[in-house]
Amino acid sequence: MSAERLKKRLPVPYTDWLPEALKRNLGKWVDRKFHGYGIIEHVSATGERIFTVKVGTPPNFRVSTDTLKKFVEIADTYGIGALRITRNGNVEFMADSLEKALKIKEEVEKLGFPVGGWGPTIWSINSCTAFLTCTTAVVDAPSITKVLYDALKPYFTGEITLPAKLRINVSGCPSSCGGFTADINLVGHYGDAPTYDPERIKLCLPKSAKALEAGHVPEVAEVCPTGAIKVYGKPDGSVGLDVIRSKCIACGRCRDVCDWMDFDQSKAGVAVLIGGKASNTGRGPLPSVQVIPWVPAIPPAYREIVAVVKKIIDVWRQNAREGERLGDWVYRIGMEKFYEMLNIPVTKWNKPVKFEGEFGIRQFLA
Amino acid sequence: METVEKKPLTVDAYAEEGRRILEYYEKGPWPSHVAELKKTNYPIDAYGAGLAARKTMWAAGSAKIRFVYTGFIARRTRDGKYAELHFRVWQPSGQIYTTQKLRQLIEFIEKYGLGLVELAGQQGMMIISIQPEKADEAIDALRAIGTDVGATGDTIRELATCVGPALCEFALYDTLAARDYFLTHPKIYEWMSNQLFPFKFKAKFSGCPFDCTRAVHRADFGFIGVWEGAPEVDQARFRELVERGVVDPVKLAANCPSGAIRWDAERRELVIDGSKCKKSMHCIRTAFPAIKPGKNRKIAVLVGGHVKGRFGGKMSKPLAIVNDYKEAADWVVKTVEAWMEGMEKGMVKHKDRIGDFIMKVGFKRYLEEVVKVKPQGKPTLHPSLRAGAVLDDEERKMWLDWVNKIVAEYKL
Repeated sequence: MSAERLKKRLPVPYTDWLPEALKRNLGKWVDRKFHGYGIIEHVSATGERIFTVKVGTPPNFRVSTDTLKKFVEIADTYGIGALRITRNGNVEFMADSLEKALKIKEEVEKLGFPVGGWGPTIWSINSCTAFLTCTTAVVDAPSITKVLYDALKPYFTGEITLPAKLRINVSGCPSSCGGFTADINLVGHYGDAPTYDPERIKLCLPKSAKALEAGHVPEVAEVCPTGAIKVYGKPDGSVGLDVIRSKCIACGRCRDVCDWMDFDQSKAGVAVLIGGKASNTGRGPLPSVQVIPWVPAIPPAYREIVAVVKKIIDVWRQNAREGERLGDWVYRIGMEKFYEMLNIPVTKWNKPVKFEGEFGIRQFLA
Repeated sequence: METVEKKPLTVDAYAEEGRRILEYYEKGPWPSHVAELKKTNYPIDAYGAGLAARKTMWAAGSAKIRFVYTGFIARRTRDGKYAELHFRVWQPSGQIYTTQKLRQLIEFIEKYGLGLVELAGQQGMMIISIQPEKADEAIDALRAIGTDVGATGDTIRELATCVGPALCEFALYDTLAARDYFLTHPKIYEWMSNQLFPFKFKAKFSGCPFDCTRAVHRADFGFIGVWEGAPEVDQARFRELVERGVVDPVKLAANCPSGAIRWDAERRELVIDGSKCKKSMHCIRTAFPAIKPGKNRKIAVLVGGHVKGRFGGKMSKPLAIVNDYKEAADWVVKTVEAWMEGMEKGMVKHKDRIGDFIMKVGFKRYLEEVVKVKPQGKPTLHPSLRAGAVLDDEERKMWLDWVNKIVAEYKL
């Protein structure tokens, strides 16, 4: 019984989950056409055609079964009886004619869900769970994502276009589960060294200083990448903890492993990182760089965050060439120039960087 | 600087203010997560109170499911008012679901959960709040549908693929079959049932250099479809595009990021220098299908990329170019075993990703001693990726003043 129960039931082979129309045409796709923003036609060598309709979902992609049932209904009525979830939580419907695809667009829009997210538009704003589920979140990514989507929706639907594709990541803390390697990234952090309750922190420390003498380093100190957390034996034989503020980089690793490390929410905010991209287009894949170390994150409106993101998008729209991703553009003009355009002060937390060398698959071609 | 009132960090203390904040997110043109949550029995006050207090209400909880050691996440609010048990569910490769399967899943979500699901493509579908007393039964019900829980904690996480041959013209290898192969590989299968790694392990399969799964950023092992030499040009078809005014060949050549393209106006032919081509996909995207990826298809294997990790994020390093993804299976096994062994010896610490391990060993030594592969590329160094700053009040004031000017500019 137990041995049987230990066995996993993995969803393989994937063909068991595919609708017939895709199974028949697996690996046979030869051409594609675009019908506005959000609808793509795929042409198979068999002559069959599939039209995908890309639909934006609520922040953190949380949907009720009530909504999901309506999606399934639409997929059965007008589609080929299947849905696809994209990597960043958009939902793709599939139909076998343009007419039906447009009908799907009409139906989901009636439900309040936008269609878009292909070409020179916002493809997605990716959000971690933050205050919905997470234990280490510093700011709430889903509500920030909501206000950003509200402010930037015309860029998703293609009513206003951009120089190139734009992806935004919102992460509630520096662990960055929502990502921080997209074009624009907002990452919650303490804005200061962590705080802690001197009594409760003892739950993360050994009871006796003798453990330290034996060479044991409690995880809350060991996990610190800069050695900013020191633990020491007190004269009474108990263990104390100090945070060396000058060494701290506010990365939050200590709170990952010890729930009693804390922060002052009036000092917390988000860092803005820009220019990351995975795609090999243009200059090739790029890491992102922290350009604005801190802006406050104040619910419900997050005015400061919305303003900064709008400003970055506007400067990019006004100055980039056609097809130039944000990272490619900043790489071409240089970070100093970008800072000048936005009047960004340069501090030790946002020193301009110029990447040398190639990333991703280009490392094989260098 | 505004101050936050000090109250006990409990749901009750902040719930009322929280409800007012939540109402704000039910408005606006974009679909609302709050509206979706409110359609279910989700403990919305825990979320609202977090927003009002500007601190998450959730702390780690605990749960036990017989003979299941990964795939569920337990939480409780710090005041003990609510507890949650989420299931993370393996997705089929490519994340395509027939409506028949979706109906079964919906029935499952409503029977064992709250009627709420997180459709997170890259990390597995998350079914919110399973009733803990029915968790054992729920595992069996999920398996009857044909999938299972998994991919949480220090173990094999969701292996991600692009849509690949199911619906993409550019898939240079079968990314979906590749994921199925790794997911069912005996060693991976063995590891995924326990949490014995120093930290998480992720693999991503992208069919072409567009890298839709972002294997270069977020995969301990990344597999990206490439080709050797120049893209394939169907000159007759390309000329037709030029004559129809669809493509401007001079502009196409000028915009090639590799500087590898020349338009021979006399012979009306596009000439691409394969030795210069950096596979940016620019010409292919512009003139597909007259220009297609080259016929000699390969897979680039990259290693050590990650976002989350002790020493900040890293871009991946070049391991090898292979003809078949199966060639890399042995490297994955050797790397993971060395990483785990490193933890036993104390060299690798808890929360060190494979990228951190390679950084400590040195990439050259990793290639020579761990995977025993001859260097095939030139790894590029970069400052580690991280977010955060330790600021004093004066510095925070400086940034606040800076951002307030932009707020005023946009009249927000």
